Amino acid sequence: MLRITGLTKTLGSFSLKGVNLHIEEGEYFIILGPTGAGKTILLETIAGIYSPDGGTIALHGSDITRTDPKHRGIGMVYQVYMLFPHLTIEENIGFGLRQRHIDPVTIRNRVRQTAEMLGIWHLRERYPETLSGGEQQRAAIARALALGPRVLLLDEPLSALDVTTRERLRRELRTIHRMMKTTIIHITHHFEDIFALADRVAIMQNGTIVQVGTPEEIFQRPETEFVASFTGMENVFCGRSRLRDGAALIDVGPISIQTVAGIEGDVYVGIRPEEVIVSREPFESSAINTFRGTVTEIQQNGMFSRIVVDAGVPFVCALTRQSIRRLELAEGETVYLTFKASAVHACPG
Amino acid sequence: MQRRSRSSLFSASFLAISAVLVIFMTIVIGGLVLYPSQRELLASITSPEILFAIQLSLVTSAVSTALCIIIAIPVAYAMTRFSFPGKSLANVIMNLPLSLPPLVAGVALLIFFGPSLIGTVLRGSGIDIVFNVTAIIVAQFFVNVPYMIRITRAASAVINPRYEYVARTLGCSEWSAFRQVTLPLAAKGLIAGLVITWSKSIGEFGAVLLLAGATAMKTETLPIAVYLNISTGDLNEAIAASIVLIGIALVSLLIFEQYGDGTQVI
Repeated sequence: MLRITGLTKTLGSFSLKGVNLHIEEGEYFIILGPTGAGKTILLETIAGIYSPDGGTIALHGSDITRTDPKHRGIGMVYQVYMLFPHLTIEENIGFGLRQRHIDPVTIRNRVRQTAEMLGIWHLRERYPETLSGGEQQRAAIARALALGPRVLLLDEPLSALDVTTRERLRRELRTIHRMMKTTIIHITHHFEDIFALADRVAIMQNGTIVQVGTPEEIFQRPETEFVASFTGMENVFCGRSRLRDGAALIDVGPISIQTVAGIEGDVYVGIRPEEVIVSREPFESSAINTFRGTVTEIQQNGMFSRIVVDAGVPFVCALTRQSIRRLELAEGETVYLTFKASAVHACPG
Repeated sequence: MQRRSRSSLFSASFLAISAVLVIFMTIVIGGLVLYPSQRELLASITSPEILFAIQLSLVTSAVSTALCIIIAIPVAYAMTRFSFPGKSLANVIMNLPLSLPPLVAGVALLIFFGPSLIGTVLRGSGIDIVFNVTAIIVAQFFVNVPYMIRITRAASAVINPRYEYVARTLGCSEWSAFRQVTLPLAAKGLIAGLVITWSKSIGEFGAVLLLAGATAMKTETLPIAVYLNISTGDLNEAIAASIVLIGIALVSLLIFEQYGDGTQVI
């Protein structure tokens, strides 16, 4: 549907070095990467703000590489809203429709419909500066959606918001995507966004895409050291969470993991390798999760080594070489894994 | 205790110097207004010569300010948003008239439109830009356009280009994004720049004197009127013209304070 081939662009100190991506119709596609990876330039080039130095962009099979942004039908939402401060919320949302010289009644109906979907119609007469961050971001999303874009680009749309607002808006993005079936490309650095929203994820580094896959593939089988270190959550499992006395017990395959997050139902759990303590014997501590397992793999690299322990599900643990030597670890040995309930990151699956 | 008295001595002396300066300025400027008898002053202000000067100043400054803004907006935008080879050199050249004495700018303009090849060609085709009203406008424009560019630049530099990007994804061409988004956002800064440029054009003397000459009732703007009347000893007319200039300066300063927040004049 959207096919990006060999896209290159240099802009100051940022650059895209041959980006290839294929995004399906109606897909929720997330791009993850560190600051300076070139994610925003990529979005702005897709939107047509920058003309690429090389490569092509095709939408629905037709080449739009040199098409003016106004003819692309690609909407854009930035991290800090970019609502036009001299226009009311209603005028902001209707801005794109007014450019098309549609009659005012139709514009008003479309604006109302979109604004109501995002729960901001009552704010229509206000100016952006009088709104909260969450409200402004809803208005910015409404402004982009009012035109019914073929692709919606979201540049860290939730990053400027406080935690509660972010979670609420994240759920709404999911609802909007299901209702409108718009193809969405969303840049983020939040782990939760990926599991809550993404159909597929691309990891971007130094102006190139280093891995593309489903969220599970990305987290469980990071193809490069960079992906592993950036995602950091190498132990990612699907599970089912039950609430017991306010705490959640998550069944993951044959084992049950305790967490402090109060969520129920299908979840993803993530545990960082460095949060898992490896011991020869079980020990009493404040950490509530302890599992017995067998070492299946030891990878010595650099100061930290990664060992894989099969405790019903495979756990990756990070240990120093000295620790491995001290514990006399070897493949096939029996060990115990211990980690705190608070080290378990859970989010709805 | 000693520390405290020292620090208050410190602030007291700085405040005292400020107070002396304010009093000095008030007396100097206020004294000028109060010096002639009010009846004579009124007669001088309403004399044909001063009324002519007021009218000429208003017309020429309005035209030159309009030219300044028409040129400054695209230039300021280009200098903030685009990068091109020779940009810093262009910047230096554009700012040169700011630090140049207006008299020198006037001499340069006089040579350019006078005996130089270009001046000769222009005159040959019927365009004479020396010692007439057009010369006043040209001189005011030349000296003041750098100010307008500077203020407009400051106003457009704070506008995030992403407003335009969003507008373009919403169906605007580059022109219409500029007109519908950037221009309204820069409006306050533009008004401030307009007022300060207008006020400076009205007060422009050196460059106008050299290019337009000082011909009574012909190229006699308010500052030229001050100059001509002082040289002929007509003190009341000179003071009348000065007071009108003070009034204009005061009004434009107040408007500038209103709209120019965050905008640096120089």
